[in-house]
Amino acid sequence: MKEALKRQSFLGEGSDLIHADCIAGLAGLGGGGSHIAQQLAHLGVGNFLLIDPDRVEETNLNRLVGATHRDVLKATRKTAVAKRVIKGINPQAAVKTANKKWQECHELIRGCDVIFGCLDTYRDRSELEALARRYLIPYVDIGMDVHRVGEEFAVTGQIILSMPGELCMRCLGFLRDELLEREAAKYGDAGGRPQIVWANGALASAAVGIFTQLLTPWHRKHEPTIYLEYEGNSQTVTRSNRLEYMRDKECKHFSTADGLGDPFWAPVRRLRPA
Amino acid sequence: MRTIFKITQSVLGRALCDLRRPHAFAAERVGFFSCRVGGLRSTGWVILAEEFHPVADDDYLEDHTVGAMMGPDAIRKAMQVALDRQCCMFHVHIHEHRGQPRFSAIDISETDKFVPDFWNVAPQMVHGAIVLSSDSMAGRCWHPRLRSPIRILELAAIGSPMLIRRRKS
Repeated sequence: MKEALKRQSFLGEGSDLIHADCIAGLAGLGGGGSHIAQQLAHLGVGNFLLIDPDRVEETNLNRLVGATHRDVLKATRKTAVAKRVIKGINPQAAVKTANKKWQECHELIRGCDVIFGCLDTYRDRSELEALARRYLIPYVDIGMDVHRVGEEFAVTGQIILSMPGELCMRCLGFLRDELLEREAAKYGDAGGRPQIVWANGALASAAVGIFTQLLTPWHRKHEPTIYLEYEGNSQTVTRSNRLEYMRDKECKHFSTADGLGDPFWAPVRRLRPA
Repeated sequence: MRTIFKITQSVLGRALCDLRRPHAFAAERVGFFSCRVGGLRSTGWVILAEEFHPVADDDYLEDHTVGAMMGPDAIRKAMQVALDRQCCMFHVHIHEHRGQPRFSAIDISETDKFVPDFWNVAPQMVHGAIVLSSDSMAGRCWHPRLRSPIRILELAAIGSPMLIRRRKS
């Protein structure tokens, strides 16, 4: 085990090799995704696919890990900032970047072992989860929001593990048609959503914990679906009550019987064995 | 060409349960995974197991020179699945040990004989063979664009916990 990883040897025999071998995909390198990228690099993850079409703006500096004032002036790509952070921690890491919307590089995502969704909209989440299901990729979603409650503001968020074959974000009630419709009606009128660094950090840390639990022999108490709710005002992360209601239920929205792979797969031409 | 084989822990668990059942005379059991396939950029594909199909007790032939010999009905039924669903078919059996399993010489020679026949009923698909151990797996596949079978270097069982086996060559 590398000297840099010895303090995490409790994760189990071979955990360093598991992380070094793993391909982690990150869709969205903003407040949440930049935290996750940094933590995965510290963990020793060896392969990254970083996807984000945006460049650093001044309004990102309150939360974007690794971004500097100089990046604002140079309008650096968010993927470039994350790559710089990762390479600074682990120069051996293989980092692929895609400066586009994740929908434009879905064929790259199919090769990932785990995909993290750090996206702004329910629509994006819904579509990325569908892609992850179709290609049997565990999907970890994080997101935060700020709501006005009387004269004050409540910071909330969620961390969800959507595992192929298990309950999905619709089953859990996190994605609902009315939310998608409301969002579509407000399209183009969203404005800058409130974000704060410590909430992003708490969500990202929990997501990376889930990732580590999935991959390493750290401990054996595994849950097939994880839905954690973040309460920013009390600084707590709790298991969602919705999981209790869904115990022993099966996902009705995605089926592995007919929902896998390319719908219209065809190789270019066929050659019989010599 | 990058090739990945993925299976959920639940489908894998069903296969392991069946393959470990004793048979009246065969020393081991075999079965098939029906699979779907997806492209990986322009240079590879991912094979996704969707269902395990056991070989029925009566479809084994008594042949003590091999662990398990499938009769013609076993192959015919697997071909029917491939034809009806236009899916990939992967033969599967288990070597009961821990660690990385390997195809034996007889595994290779036998699968070389019958796996390409699946192209007669599902010519566009990737077909192949998987060998499981108690905690790992290995695979070979026949792609319609390639003349010879290739080793599958990346295999993953998806669930909690995940199993990922990735080899460089």
